[in-house]
Amino acid sequence: MAVITFEGVRKSFGHNGGGFLALEKIDLTIADKEFVAIVGPSGCGKTTCMRMVAGFEFPTAGTVNVDGHRVTGPGPNRAVVFQQFALFPWKTVSENIALGLRNKGVEKLEREKRVHQAVELMGLEGYEGAFPHQLSGGMQQRVAIARAYVLEPDVLLMDEPFGALDAQTRTTMQEELVRIARRNPRTVLFITHAVEEAVYLADRVVIMTRRPGRIKEVIDIRSVRTAEKWDKYERIEDVMDLESFVHWRTHIWRSLREEKSGQDR
Amino acid sequence: MKRRYAIGFLTIATLAIFWFLATGPLALISPGRFPSPPDVWASLKQVSTKGYANGLLYQHVLHSLKLVALGFVVAIGTGVPLGLLMGWSRRAEAIINPVFSIIRPIPPLAWIPLAILWLGLGDAAKVMVIWFAAFVPSVINSFTGVRRIEPYVIEAARMLGTPRWRFVREVLIPAAAPLIFTGMRLSLQASWTTLVAAELVGALYGLGRILNVAQQDIYPGMIFVGMACVAILGWATTRLLAEVETRSLPWIQMARA
Ligand SMILES: Nc1ncnc2c1ncn2[C@@H]1O[C@H](COP(=O)(O)OP(=O)(O)OP(=O)(O)O)[C@@H](O)[C@H]1O
Ligand SMILES: [Mg+2]
Repeated sequence: MAVITFEGVRKSFGHNGGGFLALEKIDLTIADKEFVAIVGPSGCGKTTCMRMVAGFEFPTAGTVNVDGHRVTGPGPNRAVVFQQFALFPWKTVSENIALGLRNKGVEKLEREKRVHQAVELMGLEGYEGAFPHQLSGGMQQRVAIARAYVLEPDVLLMDEPFGALDAQTRTTMQEELVRIARRNPRTVLFITHAVEEAVYLADRVVIMTRRPGRIKEVIDIRSVRTAEKWDKYERIEDVMDLESFVHWRTHIWRSLREEKSGQDR
Repeated sequence: MKRRYAIGFLTIATLAIFWFLATGPLALISPGRFPSPPDVWASLKQVSTKGYANGLLYQHVLHSLKLVALGFVVAIGTGVPLGLLMGWSRRAEAIINPVFSIIRPIPPLAWIPLAILWLGLGDAAKVMVIWFAAFVPSVINSFTGVRRIEPYVIEAARMLGTPRWRFVREVLIPAAAPLIFTGMRLSLQASWTTLVAAELVGALYGLGRILNVAQQDIYPGMIFVGMACVAILGWATTRLLAEVETRSLPWIQMARA
């Protein structure tokens, strides 16, 4: 079980929280095993929302709870895929992936098995002994995802995890993520700039306003997906051609554009 | 690369030939001021076989080497952990930094008289002075190494539930390692400088002792031998440390390649 709730969350940075306001009036409940994507203009506070669930940042007012417990710090039940990868450059690919399992006290044989599975899942075979610097940005990002997945966390927090990938790899990873998410669902908070990605992956898409970030709109994609039977298509491009997909994608685009043009003024 | 080496070799060879000619056949430089190659050779033979300033060359060398090694190990053994601690804990920094700021501007060599007064002309005084001198760069660089760690790398370790000691061993130290090594290299240089200075002021054995006695005896050839030994040992120990660094930080070599 892992239910995430934001209740009346406000977050400001600077002098004792009196400085500048980043987030305001955030109320959101993410159900167990629900996949929620957040989209919004740059700097609107998406990462900050995620960091409060991860336990790196705390609300100035209001509460962030996971399973009814206030978040007091980070923990391996809430795995994070960071926007900047945050791999350990001095550890090899498999050492990076294995650290979380070692910390959990998973014994060696079991650990090796699970690391191997994660390596296979992310298509990193043959690179187990490589250091992060020897990999492309896309591969580093896949290591970061593997490192989070291998923990089998209740909650997965992903901050633009596919941002560094090339278009082909990105598509493969999106399809892969959908496959994993359907087979072995977890509570996921997924941040992205790519609207199509959000609509394709998420059960619900949260649109945020420009700074100070508030929730502008929450769109229930899951009921559309079920009604229109998106899941019978295997390829992302087939789903993206569907009228229902186009409709919601355009809707979110418009909503975001309003925010961005407002920002320019 | 080969070309570079060839040019370097040529420069040195030219200088050596000039040295030979200027002190010998051309008699441009008086042998009382600057030794000729045969003078140096004779001095080397004398100190190696008959001995000079209370001992044979290898005894002096071993003695100096021992003191540098001791001082260096004590200095980095205390300096690196202290720097790491100050880098990690704002409280530790607040406590230690004022003391450190008072001691730091004192040139290490200024401790020599006090060290001799306290501990005499023996080894302990020299180890103490080396410690004081070599300690500072290790502290500063280890401190900076920790402060420069990317915050999200620390967050990743916390997110993965890394326990404290594993965090120190597997995250904090490797992340700061390049700067820790920079600090150690500077500490090593400081160790040699300080040792020679301390031995010049007062010692019973050692390379500084050879230099000191040779100066009193007005013996340029022997001064030259002493200087050359310090240079060679300094270079060799620095190379050794660089080798240790290369082997301990394989991921950095990979990144450069
Ligand atoms: N630790 C901090 N101290 C001060 N200000 C911060 C801090 N973290 C974030 N901010 C500010 O809060 C605002 C929201 O930042 P956040 O990183 O959450 O935005 P974001 O929506 O993730 O942006 P992007 O899409 O560019 O990643 C930004 O204006 C940022 O400058
Ligand atoms: Mg962000």
